[in-house]
Amino acid sequence: MEKKAFKSTPLQVEISDIDLSPGPFCMSFNFDLEPLKDSIDRFGVLNPPYLLKKSDNNFIVVAGYRRLLALRELGWQDTVCQVLPDNFPPLKALLLNLNDNLLHRKLNNIEKGMVLKRLTSFLNTEEIVANFMPILDIPANRQTLELFLGLEELEDTVKVSVAMERLSLRIAGLIRSIGKDDRLKINDLFTSLKWSFNQQWETIQWIIEIASREGRPIKEIVDERQIIEVLNNNRMNKPQKVKAIVKILKARRFPSLLETEKLFKIGIFNLSLPSGIKIIPPPFFEGIDYKLEIVFTKGKELKEKLTELSNLSGLEKITDFWKGAEHG
Amino acid sequence: MKQFKIRRILLERGAEKDSLAQKIFKKLPNIPIENVEPDELALIEDIEEMDKESLRIIHFNGEFLKSCPGTRRYICCGYKILNIGINCPMDCSYCFLQSYVNQPSLRIFTNLEDRLNSIGEVIDSFPDSIFRIGTGEFTDSLSLDYVTGWTDFLLPFFSNRKNCILELKTKTSFIKDLIKSSHRERIVVAWSLNTPRIIANQEHKTASLKNRIIAAGECQKAGFVLAFHFDPIISYQGCADEYEETVQLLERYINPESIIWISLGSFRYMPNLKWAIMKRFPGTNIFNGEFVPGLDGKFRYFKPIRVEMYAKLSERLKKWYDDLGIYLCMESDDVWRQSLGWSPKNSAGLSLYLDSRVKVIFG
Repeated sequence: MEKKAFKSTPLQVEISDIDLSPGPFCMSFNFDLEPLKDSIDRFGVLNPPYLLKKSDNNFIVVAGYRRLLALRELGWQDTVCQVLPDNFPPLKALLLNLNDNLLHRKLNNIEKGMVLKRLTSFLNTEEIVANFMPILDIPANRQTLELFLGLEELEDTVKVSVAMERLSLRIAGLIRSIGKDDRLKINDLFTSLKWSFNQQWETIQWIIEIASREGRPIKEIVDERQIIEVLNNNRMNKPQKVKAIVKILKARRFPSLLETEKLFKIGIFNLSLPSGIKIIPPPFFEGIDYKLEIVFTKGKELKEKLTELSNLSGLEKITDFWKGAEHG
Repeated sequence: MKQFKIRRILLERGAEKDSLAQKIFKKLPNIPIENVEPDELALIEDIEEMDKESLRIIHFNGEFLKSCPGTRRYICCGYKILNIGINCPMDCSYCFLQSYVNQPSLRIFTNLEDRLNSIGEVIDSFPDSIFRIGTGEFTDSLSLDYVTGWTDFLLPFFSNRKNCILELKTKTSFIKDLIKSSHRERIVVAWSLNTPRIIANQEHKTASLKNRIIAAGECQKAGFVLAFHFDPIISYQGCADEYEETVQLLERYINPESIIWISLGSFRYMPNLKWAIMKRFPGTNIFNGEFVPGLDGKFRYFKPIRVEMYAKLSERLKKWYDDLGIYLCMESDDVWRQSLGWSPKNSAGLSLYLDSRVKVIFG
C-alpha cells in the first residue's frame, strides 16, 4: 500500500470555536469522560485533536472528540490542535479518526454502527463488507451490515443498552421493526434485570408471539399484572425475578405443554415413588420412551430400590399424560 | 389465475442444446436471455429474495430420481421425487425452500427429457416394485408447465409403465394443457389444500381454494385420478370451522370415489426456516402455535395439538367418504394410532398401504 503523509498545521484553537456536536467523523457513543479528564488534568493533552476548518471559520472535529469534550468540562479555554488542509478529503478524515480510535480502544457495537454508517456516504456495500467489517471484528456479510446500520435509528436508551452489552445485538435488530413504545418496554424489561442473551432471545420471541396470537400490543403483554408483581417483589433477587418472568411467559406461550407437564407431575407424584427414583418423560412428550433414574450408592441399595419399585402398585398407570389435557 | 411473469432467462453454459431449453426459447421469444456460468456463486441476498421472475436454464448433472428425504424417526411414505426443477413462481410464506435452496431463480433442468430413458431403466429394473413418483417436492408440478411443457413428455412416458404412478402436485389452476393430453393411465393430479384464510394470507400468488377445487373437478371429469394434500395444516383460532369449509367445497365439486389418497401433515420447520420466513414475511403469525422440537430436529406442533387436528379433519373427511386413502405425512406411530385409529407401524408399512391404493385405483 502506498504511504502518503499529510500535512497538518499546529494551531492554538479556542474551544468555543470548535463544533462539539457529534459530527460526520465522530465514532464515540456512551463513554465515561472522567478517566480522560483525570489524565488531562494531570498530564495535559498528550495527542492533539485533529480539526478541519469550516466555511464559517469555526472548526469541525476529525479526531479527538472526547478529548475536546473533556477539555471543555475542565474549563480549558483553548488547546493546541492539528488543523488539516481545507481540501483534505472527508473519507480520509474519517479513516484517520477510525485508525486513531482502533489503535487506542475497542469500539462498542453502537460505535461500530456509526463507523459503518459514515462509510456508506463514501463507499459501496461490497467495499464496506470486504474491507471494513473484518477490521471492526464483525462477521463480513450484508445482513450483519444491515443490522449495524440500523442501530443508529434506535432511541438513545436502547443504544446505551446495546453499547453496554445489556441488550443483545440480535434483540436490537429484532425490535427495530416494532413500535417505539413496545421497543422501549422491551428494553426496560431486559435491562432492569440481569438476563442472559439466550434468555432475552427466547423470551422476546415468546412475547412477540403471544402478542400476535392475542392481537395485543407487546407493551400490554409486558405490563401484565403477574409480571409487574414479580418486578415489584422486594423479596426476590434479580435472577429469581428473571426465572419467574420466564415461567409466566412460558405458561402463556405453551399452555398445552405446561398443562401436560403439570398432569405428568401429578401422575408421578401419586405413584409415591421411593426416594432417589425418578421418572423422566420424553422431551416435550414428542417421543414415547420414558426414562427411569435410580440414585444409589451400593448394589445392595439398588437391589432394595428395585424390589420396592417392582412392588409398587400403579406403575402400569404411567401413560401418555397429555391425553387427559385440554388442547387447542 | 394469470400466468407468472418471467423477466429474464438465465442460460447456463452447457444447457443451450438441451431439447427442453430449445422449447422454452420458442415459448418465450421476447424474454431477454443472459448467459451465465454453471458454477457462478450467488449472493446470499439474492438467494434470500429467491428471484422468482428469472428462469434459469440448467443442464443438470445430478440424479433426477431421488427418494423423498424422510427420517427414520417418523413414518415416511416412500415417495420418489422426479427432480424437474427447484423453486416456484408462487410465494408461500411457509415454504421450506426458503432455507433449503442455495441458489436463487426458478431453476429448470432442461436435460430432463433427454434423461428420461435412464430413469425408465431404473423403474423397469424393479418390475415388482411400485414407484410412486412426484414432481411437486421442490417446485410446483404445473405452475410453469405453460413454459416448460413438462406434461407433454412426462405423461406419455409414465402412462406406459405399469409399476409406477406420476403425481403432479400443484396450487395452481393451470390444467388446460394437462387436459389436452390423451394420457390418463398412471397419472395422479393432486392439489395442496388449506383453509381460505391460509391461502389468502400465506399462499401468495396461488389459485384460490375454490379455483383449485374447480380445476380438480374438471380434471376428474376429464378422467384423471385425483389426490389432495392438507399440508401444512396450520392451527389457529377457528381453524376447525375453516377446514370444514374446505371439505364442504370438496364435497360440492369432487366425486370421492376416484381419489387415490389424501395426506394430512401439520406445519413443521427447521429452526433456520423460521428466520428466513420472518425476514421475507415480517409479522407473519404462522409461528403463533405451540411448536416444540421434534425427534428429527424440526419444530412441530405439540403432539396433542397435532393429534386433535388430524383426528378432527380425518373424521370429517371420512364422513364424506370412507375410503379416501387418508395418510399422515411424517408422523410417528403413536400419532397415527391416536388420530386415525390405526398405524402402518413404519415407513415400509405406509409404502405398502399406498401401493395398495395404487393397485385399487389403477389395477
